[in-house]
Amino acid sequence: MATIQFTDVTRIFQRDGKDFLTLDQINLTVQDQEFVAIVGPSGCGKTTCMRMAAGLEFPSSGTVKVNNVVVTEPGPDRAVVFQQFALFPWKSVHENIDFGLRSKGLPKEEREKLIAHYIELMNLKGYESAYPHQLSGGMQQRVAIARAYALDPQVLLMDEPFGALDAQTRVVMQEELVRLARKNPRTVLFITHAVEEAVYLADRVVVMTSRPGKIKEILDVRSVREAEKWDRHSKIEDVMDLESFVHLRTRIWKSLREEHAGTDH
Amino acid sequence: MTAPLNRKQFWRLTVTGTVAFLGFWYLARLLHFSPPQFLPMPHEVLIKMIDLLHNPFAGATLPEHMLASMKRFGMGFGLAALIGVPLGLAMGWFRWLDDVVTPLFDSVRFIAPVAWVPFAALWFGTGIGGPTLIIFAGAFPPCLINAYRGARDVDIRYLEAASMLGVGSFKTISEVLFPASIPSIIAGLRIGAGLGWLSLVGAELIVASSGMGNLIVRAQSALATDTVMAGMIAIGMVGVVIDVLIRKLERILLKHRNA
Amino acid sequence: MARTQPKSYRRVVVGIATVSLLLALWYVATTATGFINPSRFPRPHEVLSAFNFIQTEGYGNGKLHQHVLHSLKLVAMGFSVAVGVGVPLGLLMGYSRRAEALINPAFLLLRPIPPLAWIPLAIVWLGLDDGSKILVIFVAAFVPSVINSYTGVRNIETPITEAARMLGIKGWRLVFEVLVPGAMPMIFTGLRLSLQASWTTLVAAELIGALYGLGSILNQAAQDIFPAMILVAMVFVGVCGASTTWLLGRLENLAMPWRHGRVAA
Repeated sequence: MATIQFTDVTRIFQRDGKDFLTLDQINLTVQDQEFVAIVGPSGCGKTTCMRMAAGLEFPSSGTVKVNNVVVTEPGPDRAVVFQQFALFPWKSVHENIDFGLRSKGLPKEEREKLIAHYIELMNLKGYESAYPHQLSGGMQQRVAIARAYALDPQVLLMDEPFGALDAQTRVVMQEELVRLARKNPRTVLFITHAVEEAVYLADRVVVMTSRPGKIKEILDVRSVREAEKWDRHSKIEDVMDLESFVHLRTRIWKSLREEHAGTDH
Repeated sequence: MTAPLNRKQFWRLTVTGTVAFLGFWYLARLLHFSPPQFLPMPHEVLIKMIDLLHNPFAGATLPEHMLASMKRFGMGFGLAALIGVPLGLAMGWFRWLDDVVTPLFDSVRFIAPVAWVPFAALWFGTGIGGPTLIIFAGAFPPCLINAYRGARDVDIRYLEAASMLGVGSFKTISEVLFPASIPSIIAGLRIGAGLGWLSLVGAELIVASSGMGNLIVRAQSALATDTVMAGMIAIGMVGVVIDVLIRKLERILLKHRNA
Repeated sequence: MARTQPKSYRRVVVGIATVSLLLALWYVATTATGFINPSRFPRPHEVLSAFNFIQTEGYGNGKLHQHVLHSLKLVAMGFSVAVGVGVPLGLLMGYSRRAEALINPAFLLLRPIPPLAWIPLAIVWLGLDDGSKILVIFVAAFVPSVINSYTGVRNIETPITEAARMLGIKGWRLVFEVLVPGAMPMIFTGLRLSLQASWTTLVAAELIGALYGLGSILNQAAQDIFPAMILVAMVFVGVCGASTTWLLGRLENLAMPWRHGRVAA
């Protein structure tokens, strides 16, 4: 049972002696094996939420719990996929995925099996000895995802993982992630500013307000997805053509637009 | 990295570190780790430094030695900067110049500046030319290299814009390459000043009759260790001041950038 | 003024041409016309005979190779100790802010003092033997190693250190598999600077007083007013500096195999 629980979470950021309220009373529970996406305008604090679940940042008040345990530090039970990939440049693809597994103390045979499995799954076959700088952005992110999944984490945290990729690669990665997520369901918290991505991937979409970030609304996508059988279509463009998809997407866009109107950018 | 320290922790640790350092120093003396004339106590060095401000050693007071050194440094470093920076920028612009100068430069680059001392003594005797040559040998490479790299790394779009506007070579170098290379040039000046100052001290250790290097080497032969240490610290302080001044220069030059 | 690298063969040709021109000028100015006084600057054939002389008969207490070896030995000893202490110290100061705050005061005091300024003190403490030379080389090589290792650790990108924490990497594994490789490029910059400083300082120390070594040749030749020998010694100082630097460069390539560029996937 792996849940993420934000209870009355508030985050105050200090700069030049002044206090800035970045998150205001966030209350959210991600259920076991649920895929939740958070969307919101820039600076709304959505990444901060993820980082608090990861143990990289801490709330000023309120608690963040994973599996009912308060988060105090980062760890492989809460695997993170970073926007900038964060692969170790001096390690090959194989070694990058192996690194976390070694730290867990798994025996060699088991590690090799896991690595082989995820390399296959993420279409990385043939690149095991390549170094990150030899790979394209999409390939690197595949390695990062493989690395995260191989840890067999309780919870997966993804911070705009496809943000640094070009549009075509992004689409391919979204399709791959959906396949992976349906086959290998886990508790996922996914941060993005791309509404379509959120609707395509998630079970629920959380919409945040602009700073100070509050939860504006939460939409249930899963029930619509299952009722309208989106998974029937393997291609992302076919799904995005569906009326039910468009309806949800537009709904969220409008909600976000109100937030943008509120800010003076 | 481990978490940043708050002010209290920072100062507590800094003070502990300072005290520990001085403590070890005093301890070395107290335990007769070495005879007193070899290792003066920290406060003795300080007293000596103040003393040297008024009382001469090796023919001059501390400020007088300092001035002699600074004069030489000014000449050598000034020459290195005035030749090195424009030449480096020009090399970045005119490829033929680069092709000609670089091999020459590479062949003499690895010769430690101090190795020029015998020739300097031979050619200039005890005049100011000698130390100037050695400081130049030390300060010139960084000034040149950094100006050259700065010019080469300038965003090509600026140069395309200048060429489109019909700007000639000289103006391009002085009004486009130079401002764009300022950070790199300043870095080169700082390194050059450091190396130049170092080379000066080295030169004065060997072939001078005045100046900071001369001061400490005379103190060494007189076994006046407190003077040696006082001189060393003073040399260090001057080096810091020079570095700070160059950074100030950078701020002035870059004032136009940050509105 | 294209930003592309000039064709290397052209560079070599122009390089050879320039150097040859200079050599020709040297010959003309000294031998052919006597424009430059031979007591000021040696003539080409004088240099060759001096080189021959020191190789076969020896000069100033030894033959050329004995002097060169002696200098090399001292540099090797001073450099290795300095780097062996300096790099770990720099890494420690870069990683732990506590260590940095504690060690900084001592370091800040010693750092501005130019290594050559230590020579008189080293002579007071250890006389004119090899010991004082090694001490001074140590001081000269120590500072750049510490500073650059420190910067190297600090410059490791935040996502990478966060990924390491997320994977649960701690202790020695963190040091040897994350911090050291991450800081490696800057560590080598430091090593190059340390090497350069080592040679500069050694030559100066030997110039002041030594029985053997390249600096002692310079000293002796200066006293004997033997310009040809001065030039021979200077050339060899350059040769030693260049070859040790080249060796370091090869070591750098060996240490960082991930940097070699092959075509990206």
